[in-house]
Amino acid sequence: MKPKVSISTLLAIFAATSVWADDAGDAAFRDAFLSGGADWPAVEARAAEEGEVNIFYWGGNDLLNIWMDRVVAPAMAERGVTLNPVRITGTKDAVDLVLAEKNSGKGIGQGSVDMIWINGENFATLKRQDALFGSFAQSLPNSVNLEWDESDPRALLNVRDFGVPNDSAEVPWSGEQYVCAVNSARVADGDVPSTFAELKAYLAENPGKFTYVKPPHYLGNTFVQAAVYAHNPDGTGAAPFQQSIDDIAPEELARLIAPGFEYLQSIEPNLLDAGGSPRYPEDNKALDGLFLNGEIDFSCKFGLYAVAKGLETGTYPEAARQFIFPENTMIKNKNYLVIPGNAPNAAAALVLANWMTSVDSQVSKLESVGMPSGIDGWKLGADDAERLAAASPGLVGVTQAELDANAAPDTNATLVDVIEATWLEVIERDTAASIEEVVTAAYANLGK
Amino acid sequence: MQRGNQRGNEALSARLSPFQKIYLLLVAGFIVGPFLPVIVQSLAFRWAWPELLPGTWWLEQRETSMIPLAWDYVLSPYSRVWEATVNTVFIGSVVTVICLAICLPVARLLARDSFAGKSAFEFFLSLPLIVPEAAIGIALLMIFIRLGLAGGYVGIIVAHLIPTIPYMVRMLAAVYQGLGREFEEQAMILGARPSQILWRVTLPMLLPGVVAGALFTFLVSTNIFLLTFFLGQGQVITLPTLLFSKISGGNLDTTAAAITLIVTLPGIILLIISERFIKEEAFGKGFGS
Repeated sequence: MKPKVSISTLLAIFAATSVWADDAGDAAFRDAFLSGGADWPAVEARAAEEGEVNIFYWGGNDLLNIWMDRVVAPAMAERGVTLNPVRITGTKDAVDLVLAEKNSGKGIGQGSVDMIWINGENFATLKRQDALFGSFAQSLPNSVNLEWDESDPRALLNVRDFGVPNDSAEVPWSGEQYVCAVNSARVADGDVPSTFAELKAYLAENPGKFTYVKPPHYLGNTFVQAAVYAHNPDGTGAAPFQQSIDDIAPEELARLIAPGFEYLQSIEPNLLDAGGSPRYPEDNKALDGLFLNGEIDFSCKFGLYAVAKGLETGTYPEAARQFIFPENTMIKNKNYLVIPGNAPNAAAALVLANWMTSVDSQVSKLESVGMPSGIDGWKLGADDAERLAAASPGLVGVTQAELDANAAPDTNATLVDVIEATWLEVIERDTAASIEEVVTAAYANLGK
Repeated sequence: MQRGNQRGNEALSARLSPFQKIYLLLVAGFIVGPFLPVIVQSLAFRWAWPELLPGTWWLEQRETSMIPLAWDYVLSPYSRVWEATVNTVFIGSVVTVICLAICLPVARLLARDSFAGKSAFEFFLSLPLIVPEAAIGIALLMIFIRLGLAGGYVGIIVAHLIPTIPYMVRMLAAVYQGLGREFEEQAMILGARPSQILWRVTLPMLLPGVVAGALFTFLVSTNIFLLTFFLGQGQVITLPTLLFSKISGGNLDTTAAAITLIVTLPGIILLIISERFIKEEAFGKGFGS
């Protein structure tokens, strides 16, 4: 258990007493680069001088660990930079580290974290605390592989992280979609649900054979968001949830999410049972374990290629395959690489970020780790696009066209906080208060 | 030695009633039991309920897999297990030695002398065990960053002393209390120098307590995750930091199971060594009889 409260309280106390100091050379480099005054060869030369780069990332995936050592480290070595991959339990640990350093006066160039694999709430925290290096993503040579033209709706995933404008302070690394897998050895084809109503009917027949990850984990939040989209009383799906908390009144939000929450309450008695109360797994790995052991028949998470890779590593049952659920509300997002404001090797981090967005690295990552491409296929030449498509470990049971046709955008990060708080109050604590009261209280707690 | 033990065991089992035997077996099963599934899991490729044993073993997949699986991964440089083991043992050993040096005089004082504020001192000694590790970790990190101690071994070692000193002091004080002054006085009367008294009388008689305290300190140190992560700033990998990045949500996959087994090794080895040490050095010479 991580006592979040005590950490943030302490950070606040220390922040009040901190003295901000910057390294002059690093500050000059940052200003020059962000204002477009440093050409790329100069950045590369500086990176080789810095000599190392510390990337912090979730270390629970063996395939990714191997790829970092086998592929990324040699690629960086060619550029005169030693890669130091730091594997962490949760992204929040790295964010806490950056903020602790910042608050104890470690300014530009004086921290210990050069890059973090990040998205959503953790990025929003760094942004709120003004702990970002700056708008670097569009200045990387390989940024040509990404869509930045905001008149194209597909560019939204590159410039907004969970609805929060990222000001190019992070560069897209991987794209994901919330996809469910079914153990087809246990469920007949005709019984596989494609809507929430069908899932409910399946659970009535087969009680206990499904559950979702417990919010506030993002995998759980996403399931709740999908249910909320699908039950939007106006039938406008994800659209109203793209607004920030400042633009939508609590009463209106409560009205929009109420049917979704009523649905979640209605399926609760038939979810996986843990001695009289439903069991919500804590995270990705716990969910995989339940699915492998046949305790649940369907497993929903971000994992376009989770089934293909799970079969390769033995973490998925042999009969696993993907299916389209819930129709039209399969949430899609991206995850990113961010450079913290006090990165000690900012030039090396930029070189790493640039390499990570190259076609070569994306092809290799897709092939070996099964992490979907973060760059945009339509921005590539025909050959590169072809290579990227060929590298895919493969969808199992669904087609890319079906996934695209059912895609939905993520919820604005500020609203995710409210939805998360509402879930904890309404589902977990079984409050007697109405959803409107809960949402209003959540708004007040979030300082709005 | 082997023979002697065996004979001893036979003699012991002859004296035990069936109930006592069953009871001992149950206790042994309770202690060893949890290891069995971990060992099996570490050799599995796919092990799903309700299979009693893995449906597919790691060795069956070993040739066809593109990547190192299970023990191949754990023993490969990709897993960083070796680096983590060396770091863990190094930090644990240094912490134990420093902790002993700090705690021996304190324990002596607490056990033998009474002074104003003694009970308050004893109370404050336990505080580090009560305050959450995360709170200590963040606060220390802030201070150590300013002192330039964060991100290296020194910071981690100092941090590890905080939760280990209270245990060590308590254990040593208990031993000191059981050890009267008479032995030391006797040696003094017989003309031993203070250094001789320390090395030839006090320390040997304290040895069981020292070994037990050292063992405990080492085990606590090798299990600290949060303080190590914060003060090492993620740069110093130890077995707990490695394991925590691998396990979560109560699901143990193959490589996590293998790493878990490796994490227990330093403790088991130390336990075996200290067991021998206590028996032969102290009890073997008739101490306490």
